[in-house]
Amino acid sequence: MAQQILISTVRILFLLLLQALVVSRMNLFDGLILPWVYIFGILMLPLSMPSWGIMLSAFAVGIGMDYLSGPMGLHASSCLVIGLVLPWMRRILAPREGYDSTQKPTVQKMGLPWYLTYAGAVTLAHHAWFFIVEVFRTSDLGYQLIKILLSSVLTLILMTIGQYLIYNSKN
Amino acid sequence: MRNIVALLIRYHNFLLFFGLQIVALSVIYNSGKFHRSEILEHSSDIAGYVYSKRTDLTRYLRLGEINDALSLENADLRGQLADKYRLRNAVDSIIDSLLQQRYEFRSASIVNATVNREQNFIVLDRGTYGGIAPDMGVISNGCLVGVTRSVSKHFSVVMPVIHSDFKASVRIGRNGSFGSLVWRGGDAAIAKVIEIPKSIQVNQGDTIYTTGYSTYFPPMILVGRVEGVDDTDNDYHVIDVRLAADFRKISYVDIISDLLRFEQDSLLEQEPSTHGAANSH
Repeated sequence: MAQQILISTVRILFLLLLQALVVSRMNLFDGLILPWVYIFGILMLPLSMPSWGIMLSAFAVGIGMDYLSGPMGLHASSCLVIGLVLPWMRRILAPREGYDSTQKPTVQKMGLPWYLTYAGAVTLAHHAWFFIVEVFRTSDLGYQLIKILLSSVLTLILMTIGQYLIYNSKN
Repeated sequence: MRNIVALLIRYHNFLLFFGLQIVALSVIYNSGKFHRSEILEHSSDIAGYVYSKRTDLTRYLRLGEINDALSLENADLRGQLADKYRLRNAVDSIIDSLLQQRYEFRSASIVNATVNREQNFIVLDRGTYGGIAPDMGVISNGCLVGVTRSVSKHFSVVMPVIHSDFKASVRIGRNGSFGSLVWRGGDAAIAKVIEIPKSIQVNQGDTIYTTGYSTYFPPMILVGRVEGVDDTDNDYHVIDVRLAADFRKISYVDIISDLLRFEQDSLLEQEPSTHGAANSH
């Protein structure tokens, strides 16, 4: 358990730096697509974690991201949405006998369809909340919707590719 | 009572969500539009350290490009110097206060900047200790960049042209008619000029300069070139301008302080009818 917490913390810190220093600097189609890959750190939290633990961890990750980029509270607010949606998705997608202790929320352990549903729903919820709160006063709803969708898709693609790169089939 | 406790336990995650969400949203709401204080606080702590290291690296990788721009600007300035000498010789009996210095330029480098938001900002590595005050004009290689807003001891935050609240008075170089420069999100290379009536002809490729009506910028600072004109609005052109400053690439800027600013502004304040005229950039 202590090892899991340590691994999760290191992974989250690494992803926050990756997000702030590399991914947020990408300027795709004049800011139309802005993927937030740091949420991968929340998605990878252990399956055995209680929902309140996920909620508090997500909040902490959000504060960390706020600290590194821009207005205080924006990512914290969006990550809370993950804290709400993530336990739901895990419950809905759980196998009949429940998760066993060797399972992780990865493509290798759970399969690609499981992962895409799980990560897709969470990513979409987070990005939608984020972009709506960020540009609350924007009247251009169509642009905003396209932005949410394209950014979510790119985040999802980056996270899935990341999984294939980090976790080989052995572990 | 037991029911309430049971309810609390059943929905503890919802309650946690709403409680923390209220905290987060009120923090966003209270931090205001420009989020100044956070940006400034960042510039001097761990996050500031991380960002300045990244900036060091990218600046190093672009040294060649920066050198080229600097040597070009040097040559340009040297040319102007020669002009000045000629001028003085021509009017050699008058040496004194006729040519009073009006603008001072200070160089600064960019520590952190965004280009892909609605409200972008630029953080510079000079603050009050470096002679920077709020509401000074900022240019890069002679092209309009923005206006300083909040300033701390060692850093300052610039509201660039590509910020949805930015506004500056500009003129078309060819015929001198003036309008307002604004930016409405999207492409960081394209801004709009509004409030130029349709009776004035605007061509593609016309140069846009600052007017110098305000005390933020001297006149004839290059803003950009006309890219296209949209005439669907009733009385005024909506002109797309390709900005001369490339916000994705700039790493050094000059900050302009107007030495006669208080004289000009205080004169305006004495006139009751002109109140508020000094507020636009």
